[in-house]
Amino acid sequence: MKLDSDAVRAIALEGRLSLTDAELAGAVRYINNFLEMVDRFKELDLTNVEPFAFAESVECPLREDVVGVFPNGKEILAARSTGTGPAFTVPRIMGE
Amino acid sequence: MRLHELNVREIAAGVRARKFSAVEVFDDCLDRSVACEGKVAALITTTVDVGRSQARRIDERLSKGEDPGPLAGVPVVLKDNMCTRGVRTTAGSRILGDWAPPYDATVWRLLQEAGAVLLGKANMDEFAMGNTTSTSAFGPTANPWDLTRVPGGSSGGSAAVVSAGYVPFSLGSDTGGSIRQPASYCGICGLKPTYGMVSRYGLIAYGSSLDQIGPFTRNVEDMALVMGILARQDPRDSTSTCGTRGECFSKLSDGMKGKRVALVRDFKEFTLDQGIAEAMKKTIAALESAGAEMVEVSLPTVGRYAVACYYAIAASEAHTNLARFDGVRYGYTVDSSTGLKDMFQEVRSFGFGGEVKSRIIAGTCLTEPVRSEQYYVAATRVRTLIAREFSEAFQNADCILQPVTPSLAPKIGEADEDAMKGYESDLYTLPVNMAGLPGYSFFTGHYDAGLGLPVGLQLVGPRWSDGELLNMGFALEKALGAPVIAKAGL
Repeated sequence: MKLDSDAVRAIALEGRLSLTDAELAGAVRYINNFLEMVDRFKELDLTNVEPFAFAESVECPLREDVVGVFPNGKEILAARSTGTGPAFTVPRIMGE
Repeated sequence: MRLHELNVREIAAGVRARKFSAVEVFDDCLDRSVACEGKVAALITTTVDVGRSQARRIDERLSKGEDPGPLAGVPVVLKDNMCTRGVRTTAGSRILGDWAPPYDATVWRLLQEAGAVLLGKANMDEFAMGNTTSTSAFGPTANPWDLTRVPGGSSGGSAAVVSAGYVPFSLGSDTGGSIRQPASYCGICGLKPTYGMVSRYGLIAYGSSLDQIGPFTRNVEDMALVMGILARQDPRDSTSTCGTRGECFSKLSDGMKGKRVALVRDFKEFTLDQGIAEAMKKTIAALESAGAEMVEVSLPTVGRYAVACYYAIAASEAHTNLARFDGVRYGYTVDSSTGLKDMFQEVRSFGFGGEVKSRIIAGTCLTEPVRSEQYYVAATRVRTLIAREFSEAFQNADCILQPVTPSLAPKIGEADEDAMKGYESDLYTLPVNMAGLPGYSFFTGHYDAGLGLPVGLQLVGPRWSDGELLNMGFALEKALGAPVIAKAGL
């Protein structure tokens, strides 16, 4: 089923993107071509095929689960886009 | 011969023996980059002060009798999606603005410990999404062999700087061919290591189950030297499972006798440019002369479904990974007085380019609950079939010889109207990432029918066969010749 411009605009908004009319026209074309490409999967019988998890059969090595201090805390805060003081500041969330 | 023309081993040996200083090497490479950069445009940032100061420190250590390491004074360029503490890192996007990371990627830490010095950060397709380096917010890079053509992508800047002789090696990242394809277009060597061989800590993520960092060099011995430094387990990357396998790079051997090299039966129906078809024939003849046995393997699922499978997975992972670019933590931001959602939307809509937006929308669409099972989950099952198919193929072969691309480097701006057709050209590279395999892109010579463009091919092997691929590359380099520096319009 082809997606129309309203559906694509709604998907873009879920991805936190607002599109101009020209961008939207291109996105509708793109996403419908994309869906046509991945519709190819319907030709395959995927019953009993496990989803791919990880290329390695051994378990991923994990670090010990202990709290540590990142050495460059001040630099991280200095690189932020918004806010001052010892934290990140975000705009109003309540009511959004 | 000028210092910038030397390879990695020659520079490190010369600096350590104090035949020339690290500062002299750095300045000569910098001169070369300045001379070419107006035509090639391969760098987003040139790190003059950082690099010269690192070079000076190498010389000081040598004067005190210390050994600065196996890459003593060797200039390097990093793709601009690798974090460099205090040095702007953009991922080819304007959304990060002038963000300077507060930490180093593990690969850059390892190179510094080995004595390398930073000449700059390379241009790239935005967030590594593209195969031309033309989706960069900083403009396109040109191919040093023909300035009207693309260098490939997404690591096009990293390939161009090695091809044009700015530096003897660089690092790129490969999610679906982004090291092997530009290496092929620019006439140099490029390795996409086994997934898990090289740490991705500090790499700005695109498709986390596919991304892998690897080097570009002008010969296979330099490739082995650099890989010997990068291939090690990193506790900061839980997908890093290398263990002690990096030791496979310590000594190259060119013995090909009894090696079974496979051609893929299912690729025969696809059209190749004449130059690439001729390179295949020439390489097969060289392999047979060296004692290899040519065999055939079949990869029918790869041939029919790999492109769709790859783009479904890559877009889904990209949409998740890029959710973090919101204008709060780093980079470009806007006045947030109207609330959080508006802020996110404004920042992302201005900050991301067209290709990135398209893939975010595709990833959002495919992972919505209503479509997830039909597309994203189906793609992960197809991926299992693809990985199995490769495993079966390697029961009968030590490696696969195949093209990197169906055609030689296209003109800048010559993109397909339909993006999906462009995606199809990635068929030879992206299945390798889906199965987590290593792929080595090597130079075979130049196509002389009026173009003079370099032609590359690739060897693909089972997981952890990276060293074995370089051994075969060593034999092929002896037979076909090593890459040379491009004139880059000078």
